[in-house]
Amino acid sequence: MAQEYAIELKGITKTFGSVVANNNIDLNVRPGEILALLGENGSGKTTLMNMLSGIYKPDRGQIFVDGKEVTIDSPEDSKRLGIGMVHQHFKLVDVFSAADNIWMGREKSGMLLKKERYAEIEEMAKKFGFDIDPKKKVYNMAVSEKQTLEIIKVLYYGAKVIILDEPTAVLTVQEINKLFQILRRMKEEGHSIIIITHKLNEVMEISDRVAILRKGEYITTVNTSQTNEQALTEWMVGHKVDLNIQRAPMYKTRPLLEVRDVTIRSDEGAVAIDNVSFYIRGGEILGVAGIAGCGQKELCEAIAGLRPIEKGEMIHKGENIVGLPPRAILEKGISMSFIPEDRLGMGLAPSMSITDNMILKKYANSRGPFVDRKTGRKDAEQVIRDLGVVTPSTETPVRRLSGGNVQKVLLGREIKAGPNVIITAYPVRGLDINSSYAIYNILNDQKQDGVGILFVGEDLDVMIDLCDKILVLCHGKVMGVVHAHKTTKEELGLMMTGALDLTHKYEDKPAGFARDSRFCTENRKEEA
Amino acid sequence: MELDKLGVVTSFVHNIVVYNIPLLYGTVGEIVVEKSGSLNLGVEGIMAVGAIFGYICGCYANSLGVGIAVAFLAGALCGLLFAALTVSLQANQNITGLTLTTFGLGVYFFVGNGLKAKGWPVMGDYANIKAGFSDLPIPVLSDIPLIGQGLFSHNLLVYLGIFIAFVMWWYLNRTTPGLKLRAVGENPGAADSVGINVKRMKYLHICLGCGIMGIGGYYMGLNMSGSFNSSCWINGYGWIAVALVIFANWNPAFAIIGTFVFGFFNTLRVSGSSLAAAFPGVLGWLAAVPTQLYQALPFLITAIVLVASSVRNKQGSGLPASLGLNYFREER
Amino acid sequence: MKFHIVKRDNCPLWKKCCLYLAAVVIALLLGGALLIALGVDPVAYYTRMFTMGTIGNKIAYKVWINYLKELVPLALVSVALSLAFRMRFWNIGGEGQFILGAIAAAFVAFKTGAGLPNALTLILMCLAAMLTAGIYGLFVAALKVKFGTNETLMTLMLNYVALYVLMFLGETKADWNFFLDAGSARPVFASFTELASFPGIPMGGKFSLNICVILTLVIGILVFVYLKYTKQGYEIAVVGDSAGTARYAGMKVNRIVLRTVFLSAALIGLAAAFKVGTAGILSTSITDDVGWTGIIVAWLSQLNTGVIFVVSALICVLHYGSTVAAATFSQVDSSFANMLQGVILFLVLAADFYTRFKIVPVKKGGK
Repeated sequence: MAQEYAIELKGITKTFGSVVANNNIDLNVRPGEILALLGENGSGKTTLMNMLSGIYKPDRGQIFVDGKEVTIDSPEDSKRLGIGMVHQHFKLVDVFSAADNIWMGREKSGMLLKKERYAEIEEMAKKFGFDIDPKKKVYNMAVSEKQTLEIIKVLYYGAKVIILDEPTAVLTVQEINKLFQILRRMKEEGHSIIIITHKLNEVMEISDRVAILRKGEYITTVNTSQTNEQALTEWMVGHKVDLNIQRAPMYKTRPLLEVRDVTIRSDEGAVAIDNVSFYIRGGEILGVAGIAGCGQKELCEAIAGLRPIEKGEMIHKGENIVGLPPRAILEKGISMSFIPEDRLGMGLAPSMSITDNMILKKYANSRGPFVDRKTGRKDAEQVIRDLGVVTPSTETPVRRLSGGNVQKVLLGREIKAGPNVIITAYPVRGLDINSSYAIYNILNDQKQDGVGILFVGEDLDVMIDLCDKILVLCHGKVMGVVHAHKTTKEELGLMMTGALDLTHKYEDKPAGFARDSRFCTENRKEEA
Repeated sequence: MELDKLGVVTSFVHNIVVYNIPLLYGTVGEIVVEKSGSLNLGVEGIMAVGAIFGYICGCYANSLGVGIAVAFLAGALCGLLFAALTVSLQANQNITGLTLTTFGLGVYFFVGNGLKAKGWPVMGDYANIKAGFSDLPIPVLSDIPLIGQGLFSHNLLVYLGIFIAFVMWWYLNRTTPGLKLRAVGENPGAADSVGINVKRMKYLHICLGCGIMGIGGYYMGLNMSGSFNSSCWINGYGWIAVALVIFANWNPAFAIIGTFVFGFFNTLRVSGSSLAAAFPGVLGWLAAVPTQLYQALPFLITAIVLVASSVRNKQGSGLPASLGLNYFREER
Repeated sequence: MKFHIVKRDNCPLWKKCCLYLAAVVIALLLGGALLIALGVDPVAYYTRMFTMGTIGNKIAYKVWINYLKELVPLALVSVALSLAFRMRFWNIGGEGQFILGAIAAAFVAFKTGAGLPNALTLILMCLAAMLTAGIYGLFVAALKVKFGTNETLMTLMLNYVALYVLMFLGETKADWNFFLDAGSARPVFASFTELASFPGIPMGGKFSLNICVILTLVIGILVFVYLKYTKQGYEIAVVGDSAGTARYAGMKVNRIVLRTVFLSAALIGLAAAFKVGTAGILSTSITDDVGWTGIIVAWLSQLNTGVIFVVSALICVLHYGSTVAAATFSQVDSSFANMLQGVILFLVLAADFYTRFKIVPVKKGGK
């Protein structure tokens, strides 16, 4: 008798210290179906899947494979049970060839490392419909090649259940289409596929059923054909997406920061930001939308002076700031807070206290050789009080705070410094709704005080409600700048994928600028 | 007179091999350990432990084979300790290695001095050991004039050392377990995710490598004819081995060449003056070179190699990418 | 019931202390068992060792003077190393830096001669030692910053280069070599003049407290203040915690690394000047392995300046006490101390695991 489910999870709970990552989660996958695992960042999707792949062990709960209860203590167990996972950060040995990366996990492969392995791997890849060069070293591969290799790897080990963790985040549109074709074919061959994502359009396109997690809790599983994006979003975020963020009125003032024809390279040397121009006025929030990895990080770093600018100008209050050291840019009142995936990477020193993190940017300003912690402590107390940071004391190391509180500390410090430009990237990443609103309110208050804000965001609903204008990036190019109250999610989505380019919509204006950009052009003439 | 000069050259070549093979054992052992991603700074101590137990047990059993086996086991036990602390208990590898050196030298002198007070086994009294450690000329090759006696007439442990180096090279580069081991040293996360048992691989190879070092220590004791005095038999060779690993670019076959390069300087230190006396015209200047320069050269050369390889592109280096980092699967 | 290992957020201080204490006690018990096997009363042995033979000893003051002579370099080197370690710069070149410092100090001691007053000679010795060792450290740091050269392996190699330079000076009889005693036919290091040795302060009785002890304590306090309260100390903490954050806050990370490693190496040089200045002579074993032991002390103290003094004091008791005990109990070799130290450290390393991780049972069954 064929079992109904290939994989069934019952009551899985996993905690990291005091953080509950997964709470009592049930999940199942049928043979030959594609299940989308949907949830916001930090909702526990990856943690849950890592328990299937043997990286984590659940604190509590049962796992059934083909109806039989199993214990997965290691990736070895997981592999033996026919579960394969393509991790978001690829697990490949850079100095090995493609074939060796696959070969190294083969069981009963004999003692000798024969030359024939290249031919065997290549042939096997062909059988699954892939074309790879088995001798190519991983460090010479493009991202999509590495992903293909990972998929071939799990197929080769005979995985019946394949888990993909945000596979589309790093791919181009064409590559995504190709990936989806592969997934459909694998499904036809009887594989079960779990795909982790937070992109609704992909969920609708590829999946048979959708399971939704929210803040570590299991919400529901529905058939994709019987639902729509609106309903999924509601489940994902918990209530109807009437965000109701009060957009503060905006007064036109002169541009505070103007970016002209700027080109920036990424760490790998590729062009990350390609000839981009825009400006931020005092008292406005300019949103930056785009698929992950479209140059947002590089742009933020370049404005803060952390990354060299290959070409172009950045005018702050009429002065070019290109080439200035980070500290000089800071002193001009440009504050950058970038919240990376691990939250603590840039902007905070995790094992130092809140007080010590408060003084991070201004410790050098006090007189004499000593650090002024007295003011720092006062600032810390004020931020804790004003933003409602939950912490035992001002001397608690930042890493012991919860995600929302960490972000409040970070933003609180930036605001305390009294900047005139705030650059903030993903400030609500992984936060619950209440914490997110607290952050939005902070930003709105700043805006009303005349601060120009560059808001790099992920959630389009939020951006439409919060921002005044939205700049859309696609692979380092500007697709246009639109008024938030006039645009739609669909329009933004099309621009993000590169399907819609508004930069040439109005011929008499600088490329892609919203209506009031003429203001800017006039300014330029005045300066000249 | 001519013949005597030839004799000086032959014995010079012979000495390069005889006195420096322990370096090869130490280096090959350390390469095996480092390829699993562990930086073990305890080579000196491990060699000392292997030496003292190997020597004593070998003598009492009057068997070279027992000596080798015990030296290997003693080294492997040290490796087990290192692995338990760094792999299972996530201890800092540098600290554990340094402690292992202190501990190993402590054990060496404690056992040695203790036994010396009770009656030290003199190597000359054990015929089998003496015979086992005598030269076994390779037919034909050892008859080549000038270098034949120098290169192809050696004791069993010399051949064994070179054999182990080649086997380890083959093992690392031409076998599947070798491939898995390299994967562990490069990226334990990736190795783990394809079902390689990272802990077992690390334990096994740390013990194997340390066992090989132990044999090297035993060799050094035999070379000194087992005479036990205030300075340790290993005498810094363990540290040179750590340097040699870098010089050999983590390749056991290159380690053979490296051993002879380092051994060349080492031997010049001892017999540079006799070369100078035999060839006053060409090599007379050798007598004026301070011996300490020869001793410092291996480290100096390695330092230069280290800088050069860091200036160059990293991709070609044999340095395991996760060397010195402990692996904890649930790391977030 | 199955178990698995998870990371701990933090471990209360009392628990840490108990774990470490338990490790030391177990190590002593193991050592005791070995002593019993050798026919030695472990209580008597340990008593002699931990009191370093000061009880009922008329010349106990000498013991204390010699003990402090060992303690000063070790404590200072450990403090110095902790500076670099705080930035995750794994300077294991304490040996080499110490040797170069010692040579520089000896150079000044021999060259300045009788012309200068005592204090000035000593200050010059310290400065020369600090500068030489500091530049040596700076060199490695510059390679690390510029090319990413592995500093652990690099400092390890240079330790031996420095050692053989010292041995060259100590074993080469030549006209230019003023380091050696001209009166001796065999190469032996010459002693310094009285002017080049650090004075002691009489403390009543025959015990006199060497000025180096006081200086070391003062430096310890200064380093503590430097790390905790100054801007530069704050920079070190941020760079060590997250280099990305430091850069973002406008810190010049490379400069901070270079500056701190220079300071760390210079303090090691200073320790060397103190050592030769109290010994009054160079020696090829001048370092007494402080470069190695210092690493272990710094790590054991978790880079905490105050704790470093406590730990190094204890390690010195172990070292010094075992020599004293070895003289009384002839059955036990003095290398017993090294073994005991090794076992203590192994167990402390194991105990450390329980302060960072905890073992929790896996519960079965869902709802």
